[in-house]
Amino acid sequence: MSETYRVPVGPIHIALEEPVYFKVKVHGESVEDVDILSGFVHRGMEALVLRRNFLQNMIITERTCSLCSNNHPFTYIMAVEKIAGVRIPPRAEYLRVIADEVKRAASHLFNVSMLAHLVGFHSLMTQTMETREVLQDVKESIWGNRMDLGANTIGGVKYDLDKEQIRYLIKQLNLIKKPIRELTNIYSNNRIVRARTEGVGLLPKEDAVRLGVVGPTARGSGVNNDIRAIYPYVVYDKLNFEVILEDGCDVRARALVRLREVFQAIDLVEQCLRGLPDGPVTTPGLPRIPEGEGVARTEAPRGELFFYVKSNGTDKPERMKWRVPTYLNWEALKVMMPGNKIADISVIFNSIDPCISCTER
Amino acid sequence: MAQFFTIALRNFLKGPTTDPYPFGETYTPENYRGIIAYSPELCIGCGTCEYVCPSGAIKLRHHESGMNFSYWLSTCCHCGNCGYYCPTDAVFNSNDFHTARAQSEKYDATINDDIASVQCSRCDAMIPRAVDALLARAYDEITDTVRHRASLCPDCRRLEQFERMYL
Repeated sequence: MSETYRVPVGPIHIALEEPVYFKVKVHGESVEDVDILSGFVHRGMEALVLRRNFLQNMIITERTCSLCSNNHPFTYIMAVEKIAGVRIPPRAEYLRVIADEVKRAASHLFNVSMLAHLVGFHSLMTQTMETREVLQDVKESIWGNRMDLGANTIGGVKYDLDKEQIRYLIKQLNLIKKPIRELTNIYSNNRIVRARTEGVGLLPKEDAVRLGVVGPTARGSGVNNDIRAIYPYVVYDKLNFEVILEDGCDVRARALVRLREVFQAIDLVEQCLRGLPDGPVTTPGLPRIPEGEGVARTEAPRGELFFYVKSNGTDKPERMKWRVPTYLNWEALKVMMPGNKIADISVIFNSIDPCISCTER
Repeated sequence: MAQFFTIALRNFLKGPTTDPYPFGETYTPENYRGIIAYSPELCIGCGTCEYVCPSGAIKLRHHESGMNFSYWLSTCCHCGNCGYYCPTDAVFNSNDFHTARAQSEKYDATINDDIASVQCSRCDAMIPRAVDALLARAYDEITDTVRHRASLCPDCRRLEQFERMYL
C-alpha cells in the first residue's frame, strides 16, 4: 500500500495513560508526521493558586501531578523562600533531598514498568511494580502517603527522621538493590525488550539541543542538563554523584538512563543519611512573605521544573507560573516518531515520560 | 527469557505478596495520614486549621455561646496541613483509612463540635479558653499566676495589672 492517510490516536485511547490527541500521518504502516493536540485535562490551577494563600498553595501545587508531586511544592517553596529571604536549617536541606530522591526512584521505576507493559512483557511490568512497592511502603511509613509526601514547608520540612526510621529506610533500600539490578539486566539484554526499544524513536543529539529537551529524554541523547549538577540547589553541591548519560538516543537509552538513575537516587539517599546533621528541621514561626518576585528550578524526575512566583505583600500570590518538563519534551516527539511503526507510537510517547496533567494543569 | 524464569520461580516459591484484606489483617503505618481526628477539649478556636486547609474541609463559625468546629470528610484531601500547623495538637491525622461510604451516608461523615467559651473569672465576659498546651508554648513553667491571668478577659487583665503595679 502506498497511500498516505491519517490515524487519530486519542484523546481516549487504549495505549495512552492520559488524554492527549495525536493526529498521525501514516504511509503504509510507517509514521510520516505527527500533530499533537492537548487541553483535555486543563484544571485552571494557575488561576486557582491566586485565590489561595501561600500555605494552602503548598498542598495545591503538590496535587499538580502524582509522580513528581514532591518537586512541585519543593520548587514553589524554594521560590517563595527566595522572596522571603528564608534560609532553611542544614538538616532540612538534607531531608528535602531524601524525600526528593525516594520519589525520583519510584517515578523512574513506574516509567520503565510502563515501557514493559507497552512492549507486551507484562510479567516484567508486574515485577518492576512489585519492586517499586517497597518504595511505596517506605513513603507511606515515613511520610504518611503513597504519593503525596507533604514533605516540604516554607522554612524547612514537615517531617524528621529518628534512628528507627533511618534504619528502616536503609533496610528497605538495600532490599531493592538486587531486584533492580536483575531488572536492569532484563531491560538491557532481553530479546523482546531490545527488539521493541533499540533504534526506536531516535532523537539525535543535535535535535535534543535544538529543541531544548530536558531530563532523562535529553540525557538519553547525551545532553547533560541535569539541574542538580549544573545549577545545584539545597545540598546537591555537597553530594558526590555523576550525571548519567547514554548515547543511544533511542527509547532503550532513555530507559537505561532512568534505571541507572534509580541506583543513583538510592546512593544519594544513603549519602544524605550518612551526612545528616543534627538540628532543627524548620525555621520558627509562620513565614511572612513580602512584596517581590522569585524564581526557582529543580530537577524533577522528568526534567527541569521551573517556578515563577510574584507576591504583593498580602498572603496570596499575585502571579504564579510553572513550566513543566513535558512541555519541552513533547516537541521532540515530532522528531522521534517519523519513520517508526504505528505500534511504536505509544512506546515512543512513553519514553519521554509524559505527564499531561502537569503540562495542562 | 531464562533471566525472567528465575524471578518467576522465586516468586512462585515465595507465595502471594498481597494482603488478604478485608478478610484478614493489613499493614497500616502509624504515620499514615488518614481521617482527621479532633479533640474539642484542646481546641482554642484560633482558626489556623481553617486558614491552612486548601480544600475548605474545615470551617469555624462564631455563635452566641462560643465557636463551632466543623469538618467534612468528602472535601478533605488528607494533606495534614491542619495537624502540622495546629498550635495545641487539637486536630491531627489518625491512621484510619476507611473513607469509603455509601452514597446515603455521604453527608454524615463529619465532625461537628462546639468549642465552649469560658466566663472571665472577674467579670461576666465570655472568653476563649487558654488550654495548657497553648500556655506551654508561651511560658517555660505554667504557674498558678499564669493560670489565673489566663482565666481573665483582656479588660480585667489590664485592670489587674494596673492595680498590682500602681495601687
